[in-house]
Amino acid sequence: MSEEKKRGKGMFIFICILVFIFSFVIGIASKSFIKPDWAKKYNVAWSDDIGTRYTDISYGEGEANKFDLYLPKDNSKNNYGLVVYLHAGGFTAGDKSGDVEMLSWLCSKGYVACGINYTLRNETNNASVLTQANEIKQAIPIVIEKAKEYGYNINEMAIAGGSAGHCLAMIYAYRDAKESPVPVKLLFGAVGPSSFYAEDWDVYGFDRDTDEARKGASDLLGVMGGVELTPEMINDGSYIEKLKPISAVMWVDENTVPSVVAYGKYDKVQPFKGSQRLLETYKKYNVDYKYFECSHSGHGLQNDNKVYKEYMEAVEEYLEKYMPVEK
Amino acid sequence: MTWKRLLIIGVIAIIGFVLGRLAFRAFLNLLMGGTMFGGNIL
Repeated sequence: MSEEKKRGKGMFIFICILVFIFSFVIGIASKSFIKPDWAKKYNVAWSDDIGTRYTDISYGEGEANKFDLYLPKDNSKNNYGLVVYLHAGGFTAGDKSGDVEMLSWLCSKGYVACGINYTLRNETNNASVLTQANEIKQAIPIVIEKAKEYGYNINEMAIAGGSAGHCLAMIYAYRDAKESPVPVKLLFGAVGPSSFYAEDWDVYGFDRDTDEARKGASDLLGVMGGVELTPEMINDGSYIEKLKPISAVMWVDENTVPSVVAYGKYDKVQPFKGSQRLLETYKKYNVDYKYFECSHSGHGLQNDNKVYKEYMEAVEEYLEKYMPVEK
Repeated sequence: MTWKRLLIIGVIAIIGFVLGRLAFRAFLNLLMGGTMFGGNIL
C-alpha cells in the first residue's frame, strides 16, 4: 500500500471516530433536552400575559416558610379554585421555583396556583415528614387569605406534588382535608410514598427478616416520622401506629377525595409496593381514583412517556370534572 | 471520499446516536430504576 493510501485510510478512521463521538453526544443531548410535543402543553413559561405572580410570601417564622402565588389574568370571577403544587426533593432538597412551568400551566387554565416551600431536613435540624406536613397545613389558610387580599376569593382547592411533594400533598388531602378552610376536591401527584410499612420498603432491604434490616427501618422511618423507633417496635409491629401521621394510606376512607396518581414499577427511591397498598385501599373504599403504572420506569417515570401523557390527561379531566373553572 | 465511505460514516453516526440515547437511559435507570427496553422507543 502506498504511503498516500495509508494516510488516507488513517484519516478516514479518525473521521469515523469523531463522527461516532459527535453522534453519541447528540444522542445523549436529544434524550435529555428534547421533550415530546405533547409535554410542551404542560410546561408553560411564565409571562405577564398569564397573570400576576407574587413570590416569597411568608406563612410562618421559619426561613423556608414561604410561598409563591400565581394569580390568573382574569380577576372578574366571584370564586376561584386553588391548586397547590408541592415540590420534590426527597424531603431534603428542592424549591418551589422548580415547578414554575407546572404552576404557570395551572394558572393559565384559570386557577389560582401556589407553590409552597417547607423546612427541609438537614444535619442541623430535626425537620421530618411530619413537621413538613404540619407546615403545609399551617400554610393553606394563609394562602387562601392572601389570595382573597389580592381580590381572588377561593372557594375550593386541589393539592398536588411530585415525589416528596406528592407525599405531603396526600397527607394534606387524606389526613387534614376535614380541617381545610375550603373543600379539598382533588389530589394528584406522582411517585410519592404513601405507606411506611417496613415490609413495603424493599428498595432499602427493610423487608428482610434480619436485625440489620430492622435497625435500618427504625432509623430511617423514625427520622421520617419524627418519632423514636426501635428495632423491637419494627419486629412487633407497634411502630406503624406511630407513623400514622405521615402514612397517607392509613387515612384513606370512603370520604377520601378523588385522586390521580402515577408510579414507576422499578422505583429505586420509594417503594412501588407501597403504591400497590395505596391502590388496594382506593379499591376497598371505592375512592374515585386513576392509578397509572409506568411499567418500564423508576422514580422519574422516564421510560413511559405514553403512560405519563395519559396521567396528565387524567389530571386535566379530573380538574375539569371536580374543580371546573367558573365561566 | 467514496460512496462506500460515506455510507460507513452514516451508519456509524446512527449507531453513535442510538448508543448515546441508550447510555443516557442506562444512566437514568441506574439512578432511579427502570428497564433498558420497552416503553419509549430507545
